[in-house]
Amino acid sequence: MATDLRISNISKIYPGCIANDNVSLQFKSGKIYALLGENGAGKSTLVKILSGVVSPDNGEVFLNEKNLKLSSPLEAKKNKIGMVFQHFNLFETLSVFENLSIDATEDNKSLRVRINEILKKYNFSIDLDVPVLNLSAGQKQKVEIIRCLLRSPKVLIMDEPTSVLTEQETEELFISLKKFCDEGILIIYITHKLKEVLSLCDEVAVMRKGKVVSVSQTHNERVETLANKMVGQKLAKIKKKINISKNKDEIFKVKHLNFYSDDPFETNLVNLNFSVKKGECLGIAGISGNGQNELFQILSGEIITPDTSIIFRNKEIAKLNPKQRREYLMAFSPEDRISQAAVPELKIYENVALNNFKSSNFFEKGLVNEKKIKEHSKKILSDFSVNTDNVELKSQFLSGGNLQKLILGRELITAPELLICYNPTWGLDVGAINYIHETLIKINDQEKSTILISTDTEELLKLSDRIAVIYKGKLSKIMPSEEVTPEKLGVLMGGGSID
Amino acid sequence: MIKIEKRNDVPMALYFFTPFIAIILTILGGGIIFYILGFNPIEALKFYFIIPISNLYGFSELLLKATPLCLIAIGLSFCFKSNNWNIGAEGQLTFGAIVGGGVALLFYNQEGFYILPLVILAGAIGGMFFALIPAILKTYFNTNEILVSLMLVYVSKLLLDYLVVGPWSNPEGFNFPETRQFSDSSRMPLLFEGLRIHAGIFLALGAVMLSWFILYKTYLGFQIKVSGLSLKTAKYAGFKGKTMILIVFMISGACAGLAGVGEITGPIGQLHRMISPDYGFTAIIVAFLGRLNPFGIIFASLVVALTYLGAETAQIFLQIPKYTGQVFQGMILFFLLASDYLLFFKVKILNLKKNELRH
Repeated sequence: MATDLRISNISKIYPGCIANDNVSLQFKSGKIYALLGENGAGKSTLVKILSGVVSPDNGEVFLNEKNLKLSSPLEAKKNKIGMVFQHFNLFETLSVFENLSIDATEDNKSLRVRINEILKKYNFSIDLDVPVLNLSAGQKQKVEIIRCLLRSPKVLIMDEPTSVLTEQETEELFISLKKFCDEGILIIYITHKLKEVLSLCDEVAVMRKGKVVSVSQTHNERVETLANKMVGQKLAKIKKKINISKNKDEIFKVKHLNFYSDDPFETNLVNLNFSVKKGECLGIAGISGNGQNELFQILSGEIITPDTSIIFRNKEIAKLNPKQRREYLMAFSPEDRISQAAVPELKIYENVALNNFKSSNFFEKGLVNEKKIKEHSKKILSDFSVNTDNVELKSQFLSGGNLQKLILGRELITAPELLICYNPTWGLDVGAINYIHETLIKINDQEKSTILISTDTEELLKLSDRIAVIYKGKLSKIMPSEEVTPEKLGVLMGGGSID
Repeated sequence: MIKIEKRNDVPMALYFFTPFIAIILTILGGGIIFYILGFNPIEALKFYFIIPISNLYGFSELLLKATPLCLIAIGLSFCFKSNNWNIGAEGQLTFGAIVGGGVALLFYNQEGFYILPLVILAGAIGGMFFALIPAILKTYFNTNEILVSLMLVYVSKLLLDYLVVGPWSNPEGFNFPETRQFSDSSRMPLLFEGLRIHAGIFLALGAVMLSWFILYKTYLGFQIKVSGLSLKTAKYAGFKGKTMILIVFMISGACAGLAGVGEITGPIGQLHRMISPDYGFTAIIVAFLGRLNPFGIIFASLVVALTYLGAETAQIFLQIPKYTGQVFQGMILFFLLASDYLLFFKVKILNLKKNELRH
């Protein structure tokens, strides 16, 4: 029987963010659908609504024209909607069979028969009696899929299924998914990987900032068209004046930056080499999750990688921690304002003290010099037009824009030679974005350098002198930004190659 | 349907007030338990909370019991504030007592003003060393400090057992599992004739002042505070995470070691098997009841010490087992956690029917 799943006018509002804004979509069995979008575009919320984890503020879900009340994951299961989450829900110390029998309704004997049938039918080779912790990520995912198949689902939702898989496992997964699809299971595939969409899916819906911005047939799309839809490229280009003459000194130079992580949710970085000249802004573009987090942490000294060479102002700093790097006049503005760059529970002046460099005298002989810190904080608040002059205020009462001004102010008031910032305007309103862009341009005018890691193409084209793209932990060649077009960036961000 | 949401604005005043709510609820809960057991609850609570401190001797006993609790809890507050879960203070106390006691036994037939300071110092170093084990394993081998510090409690208790039965047992002691009595030069001076309260209380008060200074006035304290609120931020700011873990464990271990040495050189006067009625574990409750604040901890240690005393009095006069003291300590922690939860989260009861009507 054909399945028809319809989502009608779904909205979900979280405090301070609209996760889903009037989303309507229609899916029919026999096809594989992709739901594409950056982190935070609202894919996960939509999926959670479909699987009963979250209930929407507004809107309805229809399965074969029956209005579903998905008030709990159990309801979703009853309605034959199966879901494989990105993070597995398995008990590591229990065997595969025990994991599968936890929520089964039949006796163990017939369950085992049915599982074996599924294993045979889809060519899965998994030993049912080994503990789950001995399985590879791909095998664990198969266990999750079997769990769904046992309930003979009409709809199967896969949330970023390939993020932890090897190439080989990914291929196997795609073969299975196509098989399920031929059998009439409706498949919704959530991802931010463009190539997968093109090779696997029939139709693609792109989400951005909680809204569905496009629904199209994949054979009408290319990597770059999807990338542009995903990041929302506006064609109007505003560029800063390029103020680099070719023969400026290199102030910062990275050689052989490699990073390998055991954590499957982190991205490995492969042989990154680049340099930054005095007064220059180097932009690093890319769709989030391609290694930007790891790169930022290595540049700031939070992660120390062996064999990497980082030369800053003719000194080797690769082994130094963030505090020591600050002494050499580097400054850092991380992506996560609320839980990394600042602590909301701390007062403004305490957050200012986090950037403690020697000449600041914030801490003399190990003692807190509160007066000095407060004076310094007052100066930051007025110099960077933060809309308060109360340094005793807790940072949690600052708006996102004001908090970012405070953080940038804290980092810049030491007059650093190099500022490394990661998504500095993420989630801010237009006024704050403009202020921060002006500030970043001003730094370059004063012959100071910046590295701007950003997922916002428009911002990169506006601020950068040269741009490179990071994709799956590898850096593209570095291009002068006057040669870069949004289309070119789109190709590179999707893993394609130009010229 | 019930929905639980985080509250956005938690008033600080209320944050320091909830421990009092927890104590009141504990007393009410205790009353109900006594009632169910067939006692007159008012009478029983009187034996528990009022009679024990109604005379000078009782009050001195209260301070005597509060001293080790306060010392250990002060040390633990350094660990807990920086997200290090040292729950093996009982082991550090025991090991401190073993090392301090060992030094005291060396001087068992000698007199001299220098002996007591040596014994105290040895105890602090012993506790510090024992706390360094989980700290080093955590920083260099990624072990879980909760498990390691807890398991080491049993290591040190068994070691103490072995020592007092075997090599250190009193040669003239008829094979009782205890050591010789320490010489008077190894004993804490008593503050008042006829009362057991001893000079160890000054160690506790000193620790309170010093910890307040370190936590609120020094760079180390600032680092501890930031690390406790956000490890990501601490890393970003470039704090030396490993060094800090070692330091807070050492402080914590030294305090527990001091508490242990205070017990054996104070009221006990020798080493035997039962040198601590689980002060090291109970101090965890004290630390949280005192909101990890040095002065809050003084208050909390007095309250919790009273549950020890009350349990003893109740055992004598009402024939209730003294382990009810632990029931009270458990209730304090339970009510504290519960009221904290309600302080930080609000529970909304959603009316599903209404929602359905709206659709």
